[in-house]
Amino acid sequence: MSDAKHSEKFEQALAAWQQGRERYKDKLRPNATLSGIPLKTVYTKEDIRDLDLDEMPGVYPFTRGLYPDGYALTPWMQQMVFGYGTIEETRKKMEDMVANGMEGYFGYNVFNVVYDVPCMYGIDADHPEAEGNLGQCGVHMSTGDDYDELVRDWELEKSNISMITGDNCLPALALLVAAAERRGKDATALRGNSMNWYPRIAVQDVPSWEPTWGYALAVDLIKWATKNAPAWNTTNIFMYGLSEAGATPVQELAYGLAWGKSIIDAGLAAGLAADEFIGRLSFQIGCTQNLFEEVAKFRAHRRMWAKLCKDAGCKKPSNMHGRVHVHTNGYILTQQQVLNNNARITLQALAAVLGGVQSIHTCSYDEATSIPTEESHRVALRTQQILMWESGVRNVADPLAGSYYVEKLTDEIEAKAWQIFNEIEARGGYRQGLESGEIKRAIDNSSWEIKQNINSGKQVVVGLNKFQSESLDQVEPFRVDMAIEKKARQRLENYKARRDQAAVDAALANVVKACQALKDGSGELMPALIDAARAGATNGEMMVPMREAFGWFVAE
Amino acid sequence: MSDKTIKVLLAKKKIDVHGRGTKLIARELRDAGMEVVYFRFGTVDDIVNAAVQEDVDVVAVSIMTSGQLHIAENLILKLKAMDMHDVLVIFGGTIPPVDFEPMEKMGVHRIFPAGLPGGVVADYIRENVGKLDLS
Repeated sequence: MSDAKHSEKFEQALAAWQQGRERYKDKLRPNATLSGIPLKTVYTKEDIRDLDLDEMPGVYPFTRGLYPDGYALTPWMQQMVFGYGTIEETRKKMEDMVANGMEGYFGYNVFNVVYDVPCMYGIDADHPEAEGNLGQCGVHMSTGDDYDELVRDWELEKSNISMITGDNCLPALALLVAAAERRGKDATALRGNSMNWYPRIAVQDVPSWEPTWGYALAVDLIKWATKNAPAWNTTNIFMYGLSEAGATPVQELAYGLAWGKSIIDAGLAAGLAADEFIGRLSFQIGCTQNLFEEVAKFRAHRRMWAKLCKDAGCKKPSNMHGRVHVHTNGYILTQQQVLNNNARITLQALAAVLGGVQSIHTCSYDEATSIPTEESHRVALRTQQILMWESGVRNVADPLAGSYYVEKLTDEIEAKAWQIFNEIEARGGYRQGLESGEIKRAIDNSSWEIKQNINSGKQVVVGLNKFQSESLDQVEPFRVDMAIEKKARQRLENYKARRDQAAVDAALANVVKACQALKDGSGELMPALIDAARAGATNGEMMVPMREAFGWFVAE
Repeated sequence: MSDKTIKVLLAKKKIDVHGRGTKLIARELRDAGMEVVYFRFGTVDDIVNAAVQEDVDVVAVSIMTSGQLHIAENLILKLKAMDMHDVLVIFGGTIPPVDFEPMEKMGVHRIFPAGLPGGVVADYIRENVGKLDLS
């Protein structure tokens, strides 16, 4: 297999190259990726000589993409996050965005709805701690009425609904199922995503379920959906959260895959067959503006996940697809010279497209100060549309394949990520890492290191530590009128007044029992939650018995 | 306030998410020799009670999911009501610059945007603790 022999022409070019740089080469400052992988200034065919490049898009292990022709079949989904106020405000926003061209595969609807923090915590509008937080940074959506309004008039089979929940993941799905039923459909009509990202608590300093129960709840949802909602994506492996907490791209990849493996293991241990559920796990990955490192990360990710799925026993190739939604990283955006962020966001989206991901949310330029204005949100969507329609990058699948640099970097990122992954697995896997706090510490240390590099100027942030302005931009942020708090409380009151309180109470008593059954392994929780949703229980009401049963734990 | 270690109560509002920034600030302040009481999440009442109990020199509140004007106003009022005037009050996080002046008018001494180079917060505290208070 002797392509090892240099051609004479290449030899000559190499020699001439070395001569051309002799005078200054020792003065060159070595560079590295954000993950610390050392970079050369030039890569050649020598760097890929020993790599396995006999791959095609759409073929295992999918380094070059999930589909044979990349985006030529359908472009990525423009899954923009939105949600604020009550469902009334968010419903209007949904319709505006559809009118602005936001769409999913083959022109289907795609709705990436974020809940407010009270909903994520599982408290309703009438709870004292909800004050000041209702409808800020997310939609307050807790009653059957709210969910009816969410799904009204949309063709469910052609609408991808992602619900960005916190701990309220199971109740939210129950409420959605009940709403679909009131539309005359059943859960088989549902398309979309449950976050089921309980393991995020490894890096987020918020209290949540105790780890044993967190995983039990996740598996309960997976089991229920596998049987009843086969088109529903049960789990969103929230790698993006890891990178926002400070993980380098390599760490994000390593810990993210360990997280995914911990879900695979939990599902298999619960008696599910690999091909039954693994194909409905999917990923949400961050993206910084380090263009080539991110592209290499996305390629390595697909390759690595496919191998993990195969090892877990998957036989069907599509069940080994690492399907990816990218949420561009917010931590790289600045309050200083806020319009600079558009350039950053463009680079992030470009990296995601060159990386071949399935769905993208682009942040808005003002998000270091607040949630987006109408205008900044639209600009973020337009950024994707310009990439899609004007740039030509969607025309060719995996366009950077064969690049000496990108292929080499893909391999290096993979190797480094396996190293960390294997260390974690040797110590008991992601769950162990979550409980021991080691994942959080490793990522916090990266966060500190990044901060030190920015402080010292080693890592340049334009407008922040270089090319600064005298003062901060006085940009008027998007404000959610506090008056919606009253509206949210009124909606809740009206809803409660109309329902059959006795039926709700009985259903919630069953939820208490079902929580116990889940704990002692004798039964499931989702069916009881769905019954409760049908009876009219709210998000917060369903969370009360859950919190009592499953504990509250802070990863430290 | 001479050689005594500066004591800082560092809290995120209740309810909030993401602790990356607060953890970096905690580390920065500790590296600068201050004592940091890391409160995690607190309502205004929680924060005020803790501040009084711990007899802190600085109350530092981190906010990511909005509510800064509401919280700033109530915090200052309640600190004064508890007769705690000898305290430096600072805020930081995802707070729009247009809110800085209104918050300062309420009594907050300084608001720090995200991403500042290291040492800025520690330096500010060192230079102003004991000199500024709530009047």
